[in-house]
Amino acid sequence: MSAHTHGGDHSGLYRIVFGALCIFTGLSWAADELPKDLFPGMTLAIVVLGVATLKALAVMLFFMHLKFERAWKYVLLGPTVILAIGLPLALLPDIGVHYYDMDVPQDPIRANAYEALDRVSAHTPSSH
Amino acid sequence: MSHSLSVTHQTPMKMGLAIPNSKLCMWLFLGTEIMFFTAFIGSYLVLRLGSPGWPSDVRDTHINVRLGGINTFVLILSSYLVVVAHESMIKTDFKKAWKSMLAVLVLGFVFLGIKGVEYYGKFSHDILPGHIAENDSQAVAKLIRESTQARDAMAADLIPGTETIAQKISQIRNKGTSASDAETAFVKFDDDLQLFRTAARREELKLFSEGHTLSESITRYLSRWREDIAVSGYFLVHDPHPIVFGNVFASIYFIMTGFHAIHVIVGMILWVFPILKGRKLDASYTDWVENSGLYWHFVDLVWIFLFPLIYIVQFGPGPVV
Repeated sequence: MSAHTHGGDHSGLYRIVFGALCIFTGLSWAADELPKDLFPGMTLAIVVLGVATLKALAVMLFFMHLKFERAWKYVLLGPTVILAIGLPLALLPDIGVHYYDMDVPQDPIRANAYEALDRVSAHTPSSH
Repeated sequence: MSHSLSVTHQTPMKMGLAIPNSKLCMWLFLGTEIMFFTAFIGSYLVLRLGSPGWPSDVRDTHINVRLGGINTFVLILSSYLVVVAHESMIKTDFKKAWKSMLAVLVLGFVFLGIKGVEYYGKFSHDILPGHIAENDSQAVAKLIRESTQARDAMAADLIPGTETIAQKISQIRNKGTSASDAETAFVKFDDDLQLFRTAARREELKLFSEGHTLSESITRYLSRWREDIAVSGYFLVHDPHPIVFGNVFASIYFIMTGFHAIHVIVGMILWVFPILKGRKLDASYTDWVENSGLYWHFVDLVWIFLFPLIYIVQFGPGPVV
């Protein structure tokens, strides 16, 4: 038996949500088109990611019907969300906010240091 | 107090969740998909925040915000049509449901088409993981390697046969006055290439004149052989601008958008089944439509986050100058 008891027609609600999603998308797009001195990097990031979160919530709650589902949604999604957040948190200290000196050849300061080292070793006669 | 052996404690039994098994299964699967995509998105965030630099110039990354925005709208519209299809199935308006699902499938093709255009832009500029030169000497080495491949391909075409490329090149060069136009052009191209190789070996080949502008010698070399009728068909040499941190950018870009595109294709396959039913579509497909809809909404959700993260946000320490 399939439980398709929606408790009413949600067509109007879906149209409103669709309209809201279009407006949010337009906002993100507009935020990117604005001059960068008006909307510096961090502000732009917060605005567009905030808008993305609102859009995601609209899709999950209404289109995916989670607003009308029962408590099983927390049992099911809770552990996955915890694991999903856990991965970047676990990687952040080492790779994201590294507490040691980054040693990459592309880094121009280090690249110059490597080149200098190569030049020195090329011109220094071998000691053995 | 003694317990009578004839009394057994029974935990009261409850009915399972009041949803079809298929819906529960789909949600469990979507739970795994959440972890799947957040692995890539989380890795992207961590790599970008932790990298000393990231290619942010659109001339390097060829990221097209307009196309990304259109794709976002395409998926949002398709998500809306999915809920329309499901509502129609519940109301037993199967004709409307069928039309909505067909529209969703068409929008899926539109999304993939736009993605294809974006990918073509990346491939044609060789923005591929492991292909991108990240400093001047790598860029020069790549320019010479691609030119050598072009020369070898042209030699192989001019002298079909089993000789080695070196033998074919010397055969063409020895033709002298009896050489055809193509062979004459080949010899000039080979001479130009040898000059470049010698200059590069002596570290005399300058990539840039100033800022982002290629030096005159390289600009002249590229335009000459791109315009020569005989050589241009083989001269698949990419613009030699190095892109610092370009390879990690390309890697994460293709992983995220590639897996997303694969999920779109799988979603489209799910829609094909009820669409193929045509006029025979009936209430037995209601659960299929609902569950496919859940999957499709999830695909839309992922794109809702991918769009700002890849196309718009500029966090991190900025480009390495």
